[in-house]
Amino acid sequence: MIPFAADITIRRRDRRTWNLWIPLAVVWLLLLPLAILLLPVILIACLVRDVDPACAIAALWRILNSLDDTEIDVDKPEMSFSVHLY
Amino acid sequence: MNENRRRILEMLAKGQISADEAERLIAALEKEPAPTTAAASGSETPPKPKPKYLRVQVEEQKTASAHGPSVVNVRVPLQLLRAGVKLASIIPEQARDHVNGALHDRGVGIDIGQIRPENLEEIIDQLDDIVIDVDKKSEKAKVRIFCE
Repeated sequence: MIPFAADITIRRRDRRTWNLWIPLAVVWLLLLPLAILLLPVILIACLVRDVDPACAIAALWRILNSLDDTEIDVDKPEMSFSVHLY
Repeated sequence: MNENRRRILEMLAKGQISADEAERLIAALEKEPAPTTAAASGSETPPKPKPKYLRVQVEEQKTASAHGPSVVNVRVPLQLLRAGVKLASIIPEQARDHVNGALHDRGVGIDIGQIRPENLEEIIDQLDDIVIDVDKKSEKAKVRIFCE
């Protein structure tokens, strides 16, 4: 399933912390018209490069679906940053 | 179980037992649990659960710096890698040749066009816990890759 939300935490050395919760469902809805507009461009690019557009779109959709439950944590002395998609 | 059944059939062929007795013996064999699995169930460890995530941990210690180490911890679902392998199959031939050429230049002799989902499953099965120590002049790093 595509991730519907993201938790982003940024913590600085001076212990200031920012917690951000992003509803990705809204982001996907906002990007949907853009994706529809870009669809002809993607189709033309696939035809030019001799790539099956259906396979390409299916592969991208699979990648998007696989992002659920991804975690990235970067912990440096100056700051730490973490992202959790779910 | 097959060995016992074969013995019963041999005895039947030699006339040592009748057909009814052979049938009863075979039915009794099928009813009782296999001795190896029954004995081993108490002592063997349960099968390893199928891993769902790939975790990559990088710990970098800059020797010149007085601050602590930098740690990067990434957890990605294995589904993402499987989807990525399938994406590799639709890469145009020109791009694939370019990538293969770059990999060969760096001493990595693999063809990304030949990577199949089965290859990834084999790697996941064998990937228990890999630790790579990187030792440069001014920094040391430890990279740990494992499935969980």
